[in-house]
Amino acid sequence: MKMFSSYLKEMKIASRGFYFYIEILVAVILLLVVLFAINPEPDGKQVEYLYYDMSDEVFDYLVDKDITEGRARWIDDTEFELNPIAFELKNEDTGKVVSYDFKDSKTVTARTFVGLREKTGKIGKTAHILDSEEDALRLSFQNGNVAATTTVNEEGDFSYRYFLQGYETDRYSNMLYVLHTYSQDEIDAQMDTQVIRETGANTVPMDNQEAVVPIFVVIAGALMGIFIIMAYVFLDKDEGVIKAFAVTPSSIWNYLVTKIFVVMTTVIISSTIIVIPIMKLRPNYLLFYLFLLVTTFAFSSLGLLISSFFDTISKAFGVLYTIMITLALPAFSYYISSFDPVWLRFFPTYPALQVMKDLLMGQGDIANVILYSLVFLVSGILLLAMANSRFKKTLTV
Amino acid sequence: MIKVENLYHSYNNNEKFQAKNVSFEIKEGEVFGFLGPSGAGKSTVQNILTGLLPLQKGKVTVDGYDLKQVHNKRFNRIGVSFEQSNIYSKLTALENLKYYADLFDVPTRDPEELLKLVGLEGKGNDRAGSFSKGMKHRLTFARSMINNPKIWFLDEPTTGLDPAIAATIKDIIRSEKAKGTTSFLTTHNMYIADELCDRVAFIIDGEIKLIDTPKNLKQQYGEKLVEIEYVKEGEIYKETLKTVDDSDKEKIANIIKSYEIKTMHSKEATLEEIFIQVTGRGLI
Ligand SMILES: Nc1ncnc2c1ncn2[C@@H]1O[C@H](COP(=O)(O)OP(=O)(O)OP(=O)(O)O)[C@@H](O)[C@H]1O
Ligand SMILES: [Mg+2]
Repeated sequence: MKMFSSYLKEMKIASRGFYFYIEILVAVILLLVVLFAINPEPDGKQVEYLYYDMSDEVFDYLVDKDITEGRARWIDDTEFELNPIAFELKNEDTGKVVSYDFKDSKTVTARTFVGLREKTGKIGKTAHILDSEEDALRLSFQNGNVAATTTVNEEGDFSYRYFLQGYETDRYSNMLYVLHTYSQDEIDAQMDTQVIRETGANTVPMDNQEAVVPIFVVIAGALMGIFIIMAYVFLDKDEGVIKAFAVTPSSIWNYLVTKIFVVMTTVIISSTIIVIPIMKLRPNYLLFYLFLLVTTFAFSSLGLLISSFFDTISKAFGVLYTIMITLALPAFSYYISSFDPVWLRFFPTYPALQVMKDLLMGQGDIANVILYSLVFLVSGILLLAMANSRFKKTLTV
Repeated sequence: MIKVENLYHSYNNNEKFQAKNVSFEIKEGEVFGFLGPSGAGKSTVQNILTGLLPLQKGKVTVDGYDLKQVHNKRFNRIGVSFEQSNIYSKLTALENLKYYADLFDVPTRDPEELLKLVGLEGKGNDRAGSFSKGMKHRLTFARSMINNPKIWFLDEPTTGLDPAIAATIKDIIRSEKAKGTTSFLTTHNMYIADELCDRVAFIIDGEIKLIDTPKNLKQQYGEKLVEIEYVKEGEIYKETLKTVDDSDKEKIANIIKSYEIKTMHSKEATLEEIFIQVTGRGLI
């Protein structure tokens, strides 16, 4: 009862201050940016490995047409290193499963052209033409890009075979067509299109819009809890109300936990603003909110512990800033996949980002989520206990 | 109600003590005044008694609780009015009192009634942040009564208030005393101490120099004072001298012999003069 009354009071105070609205405002602005300024589909970076199963005359005719009509342009040949690889493919139409197991390594050279966007003339994709379907397939699975085979029969009908990794959206598959450099009337050849996916891999990765969400939720949400809670505590220290609190039968513990609840509320509101419109029904919301709460709890407890060492926010600022920036580092690794040093994995934000990403994608091992939730919960309790004993000594000096 | 034995306190945990060997006892229903100049250590001692500062050395019991241990429940019977007002500026006056009341486990007073008591009626729905300094101070003072405290700590309750409001605050303290509330009051205003306190302690540099009732103090020191105004080399001088002190007696004789006396009368000392006599320092 006491706790709830303090919570209501703190929410009232928070709602009359500006930190609360900053969080919400940032969430709304980010939502608008994501929805209107980020193209959900990968842009310009699309790479395809193609194999044309047709005579050179037909091939030259097709390509010449594309080039003269400004839809494509040859660039330098590309060399690829093929490594041993094994995978299994399932034909979506026939249900037939084929296993591949390549044991050799070799180097292949592919003629390469770039497809140009009709309106802008910008590069829409890069296509590498291989000498065999197998090579195209191997590259496709080695590098995680689409492979396609185009065949022309005696009647001159085209048929396409796409080899996908298994997680592409339907929208993406359809776009393959539109992006394809063949003229519109040939698109009805889609009838002959076969989509072949890797078996077992059926999770759809995040598009460009969705990929922003875990970063926001972890860095601007939970991690920001460190800052928000410190702002609240120092506001109280500044006004001296903590002293008034200290001479009541209420415990410091109650005070600190109330503050954490306020930060949790703020983070839930701002995260929800971002998550629901972008992720829609995809995430497992129960686990998502659970994980959001435990991470926010741990980070706000850390914020409380830090604030117990200082008497004004300006003195705490250096430490606060360093810790926030350091803990935000895993965001780089999240975006730049080539930057993934081992030491980064020891930052709490690293697993937080990974788990959050899985949860938002509606996947993730529940046991794993529970495990990490427990780790954050226990760390949070320990930090809070330390903050509590420090606050008992320093809150009022 | 309160017993302090050989209390020491050093903010920097060194040999420089801001409270030195402080001992005193306050009986139930008594108003006990801590009188001393700025920086004497009044707030330091009060903050130890209210648990805001840790007890470093000495034995302190308040309301039967040994302060070596933390007892949150004891605050149900304690009220604290702070030297610097400390209220939520973002909450209204009424909200400040209501939320504070919720922190106690005992029946609390009606916030509206408390506001009226300190002359803040009609201001209940204004943000405390918009209050003047004196209004904030009154709100802090009113808040200290919300739980009907049996022990009441008042740190400079009237400092900075205009005389009319200070008189109201004094009346409130008197009526609380009539209810049997034990009060610990710090001040550097000797009139307050004189008017309100059953006993006063003179404190300076962290040490208690003397504890007695204002009446005793005045009897002891007051009747033995002579105030002389005299002309020396064309200028008027004024001196207050003790009739019991040998060197003062000599001085009086000297002045009468050598200079023109303008006025001369024995008088009752104010607490301030007594303080100066006892400690050698003023109550600035
Ligand atoms: N937080 C602190 N850290 C270090 N020294 C302090 C602290 N608070 C007070 N002091 C010192 O302790 C001494 C006593 O201060 P205290 O506040 O108890 O005086 P006071 O009698 O209440 O004075 P005032 O009438 O101005 O309120 C002073 O010398 C002061 O400088
Ligand atoms: Mg003081």
